[in-house]
Amino acid sequence: MNKIDVNKELDCTGLNCPLPVLKTKKILDNMVSGEILKMVSTDPGSKNDVTAWISRTKNEIFSIEDFSNKLIFFIRKA
Amino acid sequence: MTFIKSFTPENLFSSLSNKDDFLLLDVRNRNDFSRFQIEGPFEVDILNIPYFDFLEKEDKYLSKVSRQKPVKIVCAKEGSAKYVAELLTGDGFDDVSILKGGINTWGNMLVPTRINKKSDKYELYQFIRPGKASCSYAIIYSGEIVLIDPSRNIHFYKEFAEEQNGKISRVFETHLQADYISGSRLIAREVGAEIFVHPNDFKNAVFSFKKMEDGHRIRIGKDGPEIRAIHTPGHTLGSVSYIVDNSYLISGDTVFINSVGRPDLGGKVSEWSEILYNTLTQKIQYLDENMFLLPGHFTNWTEANKNLQFSEKLGNVKKNNPNIFAIESSELFSQFIEDNMRKQPEIYEKIRKINTGLIDVMEEEADQIDLGKNECAACT
Repeated sequence: MNKIDVNKELDCTGLNCPLPVLKTKKILDNMVSGEILKMVSTDPGSKNDVTAWISRTKNEIFSIEDFSNKLIFFIRKA
Repeated sequence: MTFIKSFTPENLFSSLSNKDDFLLLDVRNRNDFSRFQIEGPFEVDILNIPYFDFLEKEDKYLSKVSRQKPVKIVCAKEGSAKYVAELLTGDGFDDVSILKGGINTWGNMLVPTRINKKSDKYELYQFIRPGKASCSYAIIYSGEIVLIDPSRNIHFYKEFAEEQNGKISRVFETHLQADYISGSRLIAREVGAEIFVHPNDFKNAVFSFKKMEDGHRIRIGKDGPEIRAIHTPGHTLGSVSYIVDNSYLISGDTVFINSVGRPDLGGKVSEWSEILYNTLTQKIQYLDENMFLLPGHFTNWTEANKNLQFSEKLGNVKKNNPNIFAIESSELFSQFIEDNMRKQPEIYEKIRKINTGLIDVMEEEADQIDLGKNECAACT
């Protein structure tokens, strides 16, 4: 994969729901349109939750890297 | 921080059984909700609003929640339920509570119910697992406990044994389960019980077991009830039904109160359909019709009797399932099975491997694999 230019990073390692979603929202709200957030989560449930939540906003997930012990989301602010 | 009341899955089951008036608010995402949701003996007033929907349009979603009755909230673990409960409480809702431990605690919960007469010298219990729509059993006599088809919730069985002042000495499996993770190995390891199974299903098993084959009999204690095995292949080739005290047929996934266990899970649908047909017409057909059928699964709570137990006279079961028991040839039976066939969940292959001991999984993965209703009936 080509290197992605990330504007902000958020580490949610060790946090359970709803915190990965709540923290991601807080950061996205303060970002500028077109900027990219990289979010790392170790909560397996966050894959479905973050995806479902983002699909209900105007923001966009353009990549999820799914490793055995962590998930990395790349989200573009609308 | 607001204090939020919580309830256990047992509390929830008794509220559902008592027809208490409340709203069950499930705040998991829509996929997880559609895959598995809480069901009870009666209709449940249930609403799914994912917790993250409240983030985007708090007022819109708050207005969908009834203020007329208590709100009980469930989520995957507990955190999101608590988050939504705090929102509701902050908005003036006055009776809000959350499921302790999240949906898995409901999925694993067992409800014990005494099946046989109080005057019998032994006790027969059915343990209903509402989350899986499955049943396991215990037969108790003179301090000795025999379990049949226990689930992973071994904490429950151990506590039950303690309350009964009994010792779990033997664990029987009716067959190699594909839809849930069996608790037999764990229990056997922890309390030193012996496992009894039919060898056809457990050829590859990496644990030691005793064979239970057609006609084998085991008596509990010197003068306790007898458990007799009949080989009833079809759902699997090693399916066994256990007749307890000549009065109860613990049939595993061979016969259900509505329907029979699907014979297509082994991938040889026409061959196994014929085997099941022979089991039904040559073995089940000749059993005493006054015997009570105690199934391994149910599909719907409508199968329960007025005491909310899954127990029905075999004669009635045959009468109520003419689409199965009145079929006149094995070809027509196979046709019926194929017409009603549906895909088996992909996870079943992995569960079989876990239940033969070929693979082990961590607790969290086991919880996730084990959550969800069974899909074992040939027709619904």
